[in-house]
Amino acid sequence: MPTVVLAPSLARWLTAAPGESVGDRRLAVPGRTVRERLAALFERHPSLRGYVVDEAGAVRHHVVLYLNDAAVDKSAIDEPVPDDAELFLFQALSGG
Amino acid sequence: MSDRLLVSTRKGLFAVERGPGGWSSRLVGFPAENVTLALPHPRDGGWYAALNLGHFGVKLKYSPDGGATWEDRAVPEYPAGEEVVTADGKPPTPATLKLIWALEAGSANQPGRLWAGTLPGGLFRSDDGGKTWELNRSLWDAPERKKWFGGGADHPGIHSLCRDPRCEKTWRLAVSCGGVWITEDDGASWRLIGKGIFAEYMPPELRDDPVIQDVHMMVQCTGSPDAIWVQHHNGIFRSIDGGENFTHVPAAKPSGFGFAVAVHPSKPDTAWFVPAKKDESRIPVDGQLVVSRTQDGGQSFDVLTNGLPTAPAYDLVFRHALAIDATGDRLAFGSTTGGLWITEDGGDSWTMAATRFPPIYAVRFA
Repeated sequence: MPTVVLAPSLARWLTAAPGESVGDRRLAVPGRTVRERLAALFERHPSLRGYVVDEAGAVRHHVVLYLNDAAVDKSAIDEPVPDDAELFLFQALSGG
Repeated sequence: MSDRLLVSTRKGLFAVERGPGGWSSRLVGFPAENVTLALPHPRDGGWYAALNLGHFGVKLKYSPDGGATWEDRAVPEYPAGEEVVTADGKPPTPATLKLIWALEAGSANQPGRLWAGTLPGGLFRSDDGGKTWELNRSLWDAPERKKWFGGGADHPGIHSLCRDPRCEKTWRLAVSCGGVWITEDDGASWRLIGKGIFAEYMPPELRDDPVIQDVHMMVQCTGSPDAIWVQHHNGIFRSIDGGENFTHVPAAKPSGFGFAVAVHPSKPDTAWFVPAKKDESRIPVDGQLVVSRTQDGGQSFDVLTNGLPTAPAYDLVFRHALAIDATGDRLAFGSTTGGLWITEDGGDSWTMAATRFPPIYAVRFA
């Protein structure tokens, strides 16, 4: 089953109130493309959608996706991806 | 008399509560997260908290139990294809939610009703406690909306929502920069009001145009609802006819610039401000943090300092960070450098909270 890995700062929002030190979350979700995997992820965790994409469905500017060790072109998320490729979701961190 | 404040900060939501030993604070939600405002619901007792998580967007949360647990609520969403068109020369951009900048509850007859003012300029209504939202089309589609523009932000925003206590269908709102508006039919139609407000810094032809006015904050007297006070970028303005017409209040001291304003709930001539040096500076005048108060409709002002820092203090107070309770005796304000001050005698004396907070965006009695 394809895997999606949520970085800790994203995984902590799987509940309405943010958890602390939750670590990575690895989720098995189906999907032949990045878009399909995201759709499956949001189906399982509906509240996560707004953290990853905006209301127009675009991946948020400071959220990045990697397939294994390669950054995903946000404009090409309909390309086929191998079943065994891990999709990593994380984001920039800044400020104090 | 309200014994609790909700303090929204850059790093979490705090409750500040009065006990036998005075005021004390506790973190009640979202440690380290950017909470931009909170609404203690006047009827169900629940707390709404609006967050702006930056990379992860804007969120709305609800606690039915005083912050012990939190639930997700939906956020307003702009319909596909909508654009932000402004009058300041910026190219149109797709309308997406940037900030929940105002959040108010409907009347007792409207238990699920919420209104949300947002950046980039949309007004949204919910009838189910924030589980779903709908863009108010009549205001969004008003031709004058395309004359709005951003003040301190890239886009215009609705920051003040005042429900008329005489009629649940009458609301007034204020926009930075977009003037003062009224609906008398529950949002089915809106009308631009606010004549008399002026902006000296604009080109002469636009100085008095109600639709370009940069209202920083607007408040309405509960007991005398035709009395409305505005803290504008250009100074303080007062209306005694429900916001149709305003007059400038030149007596404000030590300055007329600021963001926050509070009006007494039953004394329409009494209002408080936290002035700052205009407008390119935005620090307290002469480095002295003071509150100014008028009790005669703006004819004169008291500069209140008792209990405020005597040493130089460069605290700035944002528009939602000055609150008054239902009695008019208790007020509180919080600053961008994390100070919180509370008065129980209408501002004659102030006490600084022991807690040094993160930067404070909003303060509200609960």
